[in-house]
Amino acid sequence: MHSRHLSPLSRALLSLVVGVALLAASGFTGELRNYQGAQVAVYLVAIASIILLTGYSGQISLGHGAIMAIGGYGAALSFTLWNFPFEIALLFGVLVGTVGGFILGVAAARLSGPYLAGTTLALAVGLPSIADQFHLLGGEQGLNFDIGDPPRWVVRLEGSDFTQYKWFFWIATVVALIALWAITNLLHSSYGRNWRAGRNNSVAAGLAGINVAKGKVLAFTVSSALASLAGALFALLLGLVTPTAFPLSLSFAIVTGAVLAGVGNLAGSIVGGVVLVAIPEISGALTTHLGDSQKVSANLPGLVMSALLILVVLFMPNGLRIRKFKRAKKTT
Amino acid sequence: MFIDTLLIGISSGAIYSLMALALVLVWRSTRVVNFAQSGQAVLSTYIGYEISVSTHNYWISLPLAILVGAILGSLVDLLFMRLLMGRANSGPIAEIAPVIATLGLLGLIQSFVGLIWGNAFLHYASPLSGKGFSFGTHTIPFSPQNLFIVVASAVVLAIFGAIFKYTDLGLALRASSFQPEIAQLAGVRVSRVRNIGWAFAGSAGAVAGAVITPTSTLSPNSLDLLFVSGFIAAVIGGLDSLVGAVIGGLVLGVGFAFILQYIGGSVTFLVGFIILMAVLLARPRGIFGHKVNRRA
Repeated sequence: MHSRHLSPLSRALLSLVVGVALLAASGFTGELRNYQGAQVAVYLVAIASIILLTGYSGQISLGHGAIMAIGGYGAALSFTLWNFPFEIALLFGVLVGTVGGFILGVAAARLSGPYLAGTTLALAVGLPSIADQFHLLGGEQGLNFDIGDPPRWVVRLEGSDFTQYKWFFWIATVVALIALWAITNLLHSSYGRNWRAGRNNSVAAGLAGINVAKGKVLAFTVSSALASLAGALFALLLGLVTPTAFPLSLSFAIVTGAVLAGVGNLAGSIVGGVVLVAIPEISGALTTHLGDSQKVSANLPGLVMSALLILVVLFMPNGLRIRKFKRAKKTT
Repeated sequence: MFIDTLLIGISSGAIYSLMALALVLVWRSTRVVNFAQSGQAVLSTYIGYEISVSTHNYWISLPLAILVGAILGSLVDLLFMRLLMGRANSGPIAEIAPVIATLGLLGLIQSFVGLIWGNAFLHYASPLSGKGFSFGTHTIPFSPQNLFIVVASAVVLAIFGAIFKYTDLGLALRASSFQPEIAQLAGVRVSRVRNIGWAFAGSAGAVAGAVITPTSTLSPNSLDLLFVSGFIAAVIGGLDSLVGAVIGGLVLGVGFAFILQYIGGSVTFLVGFIILMAVLLARPRGIFGHKVNRRA
């Protein structure tokens, strides 16, 4: 399954090199591209959470948008209420989301397939309403998570033309790389092997002394930590959280991204993230080409995304990876 | 007040039952939860709307919408599910492929509907009044259209119940879902019978869409929440029980109506989630579900 086995240290070095290269590259791209780059990083983390959950532990969630909402609200709440610096606020969002994910994971480990899909779907529909019930969570208006201008040390380092979007890109890229690095290490550890064993044959894994149920709860918890991190970053990019910022379509979009990435392939989350950001962009261009009608502009992205999803499920079940796909065919 | 809430609850519960029935019919025939169900229902409702606009007659559009729903259900099985079942059956995606594929189909149908009709809210009018019945000075929220919803749902549920219980087709449907190989040996054409299951499901969803839409508005996503409710109802009842779907739908409808009345509308789905969780943790196959034999 894994062709390249890098040591944790070399993975860290690789992440560092990629990170520095990306941050340097942000100096040469426009504002829009930087913002979209930050979006890619956020989707990447969210997609990785689904890949870990589905590809490695065999569970499905259509409610990870709700867990992203928990992370986003946790971060924004600690930011506005206790004036936490945004770095700590992000971590606080992750903490809240992890606790929520653990509670959900204990229940989820007992459910399978469509039952789990439907329960998490109901969560995604139901959870945002909590925000309306508590004054603390800001109701319809939501909560502010505007982190303001880039700090002084960055401006001193990069010059006064350092924009907010570039700062967003930096934060999201660094956080995403750290998260990806940590998750890759985790998946290559005994935890990752146990999850895969439990997914492939739970009876055999149990006989081999692996506690499959415990592994599922842990996988759901770690996946929720990632999703809430993505949610907190998502809120940071928006500058606020509202009940409508995390719709059902967000849950569907990240599952779509994971399928396009290939659900068993963590590195593919980059492909998934790029596609999720690129499709609206490309359909926007197509819409202009087709005469800019309201009907087309509102529905073309969904049409392209759904068609791509169906084609991938039917014809490229390993995701958008031509090389890997061929090799898998040869060995069987 | 109590009676009013109960009546409204039964009216929405009847619709949930229909949606749950559609999901159960597909689950029994193919072991797939059809997330595209609300998309199929919304497409058949749009066609019903189009017919009612051109004929100015709801009563012509209703049976035609149901027919379209049945054809759509059958086509989804023939053109889509069979291809999927033959292909995506190995690797990490195998378990989630049906969920993902039907979600993809849902998106495809809804965007298609949006491309044709736009995303604006349309009014699919019914000749029945949406105003509540009056008794002297007291007007209750239960309207003639609500009454029609309950009656239509009851008729559809009774027809399906009778088909399953008393006809050879019903026997073949039950046999194909529980013992497909033995049914095949006994001369049942299982794949054709399964296709009929999909058509029945499509028509049940189409009825739900066509009778509920006159009470609100029609848009590509207007039946999504109905689907979620129907799904919760179906799971509460046990995904493979027709009786369970009906009871689950009614319980959920009445429960939601009381929550709406006494707590507030925004928390209904959160409560739905909690009910669903509680039922599944106590009985992982639902209340009326059949126990499965232990594997290995």
